[in-house]
Amino acid sequence: MSRTILLTAFQFILIAIFQIFVLSNLNILSFCNPMIYVWFIILLPTSTPKWIVVLLSFIMGYTIDVFSGQSGINALSLTFIGVIRGGFISLFFADKDTQSNLRPSIKDMGFTNFLIFVSIIVVIHHTIYFMVEAFSFSEFFFILLRIVLSSIASIFLILFFDFLFFKTKR
Amino acid sequence: MHNLIRFFKRNSHIFLFIFLEGLSIYLISNNTFYQSTAISLFANELAGETNLRFHKIEHYFSLSSSNEALVKENARLRAQIASSYVSYTQKSFIVNDTVYKQQFEYIDAKIIKKTTNKRNNYFMLNKGRIHGVEKNMGVICPDGIVGVVVLVSDNFCYVMSVLHQDSRLNIKDARTKISGTLIWDGKNYLNGKLIDIPSSIPLQKGDTIITSGFSEDFPQGILVGKITSFKKDKGTGLYNVDIRFFVDYNKLEYVYIVKNFFKNEQKQLTNNFVKNE
Repeated sequence: MSRTILLTAFQFILIAIFQIFVLSNLNILSFCNPMIYVWFIILLPTSTPKWIVVLLSFIMGYTIDVFSGQSGINALSLTFIGVIRGGFISLFFADKDTQSNLRPSIKDMGFTNFLIFVSIIVVIHHTIYFMVEAFSFSEFFFILLRIVLSSIASIFLILFFDFLFFKTKR
Repeated sequence: MHNLIRFFKRNSHIFLFIFLEGLSIYLISNNTFYQSTAISLFANELAGETNLRFHKIEHYFSLSSSNEALVKENARLRAQIASSYVSYTQKSFIVNDTVYKQQFEYIDAKIIKKTTNKRNNYFMLNKGRIHGVEKNMGVICPDGIVGVVVLVSDNFCYVMSVLHQDSRLNIKDARTKISGTLIWDGKNYLNGKLIDIPSSIPLQKGDTIITSGFSEDFPQGILVGKITSFKKDKGTGLYNVDIRFFVDYNKLEYVYIVKNFFKNEQKQLTNNFVKNE
């Protein structure tokens, strides 16, 4: 149990630092800003109580907000992910898996399932984020472009880091 | 009763979610930036300290380019000092210093955190209240305009960049002297937009846009950008103008915060005028 808490805290710090000091400073295209901190919520053990997931997602979002000088957009969009994550977990995992300490990754879910799981969550998160950020429909096409490009980048990064840290044993 | 308690227990995460989402919306809607509450100021200081540490590492990679920019500005300023002018007239003259009263002072500052790829972009500077920075001060750089200070803590401040939804700066065309407003449409950090310019004025491609000096925050004549294209809007009789900024905000490193000594007086006069109306 304490090992899980320590590991989660470690992941929190690493992902937050990477997001704030590396990804937010990258400027590949003006329309593409990947947000990898969604991965932190995806990675939580499947048996985590729902209210802890919600609380952790708010804390993560607010941390990103404070350090990148935004006013609660990350917190809002990530808290939403925190509350819908439980539903998707029960959709993708068998009942006995949701009781154990599984962490959603390619190793445990298989590539296709993990890709679908991550894509759904990332696209929902990015859609809320960019909608709230612009707060108008007048630039709809550009918001859409932002959502699509950033989502692709985020999903790619999450898959890449998953490969890197949770190697599949064959 | 038992069922009710069980209902609350089972759905506790939903209530927590509603509460936290409400909190986020409160944070967003309040002033679109955080209020200067104790928590956000503490967070600001903490974020400032951490950003400063990381910036020191990052800074080494851009040393040569920022050096170049500083040398360039030095050279330009050196060309303006009295010793680089040769007197052409034989008459002697007295410089009467009391004729001039200083209106603007500049506080040098370094950017320790910046974004350019968001819809609303901010800079964080390493100067704060103890260095004399106040809210609503203008920020400029050698090549042009940068933004306005929106949040100040003891050692750091946040600057709302011109690359922001709510940024409205008064500018004018240097050639025709007609004034308008600078906004940003969120598409490309190299290009801005001008509105409120009547289409009866003949604009030209390549016209230089400078600050108008109508607002108390910026001196007159700070460079902004160059007109790249313009179109008449038939409905309103106004121009739709695209400009290219002189500054590459992504590479920006050193800036100056503008302190206006007459600001209070100007503000007071405006307030009295509004009251009398």
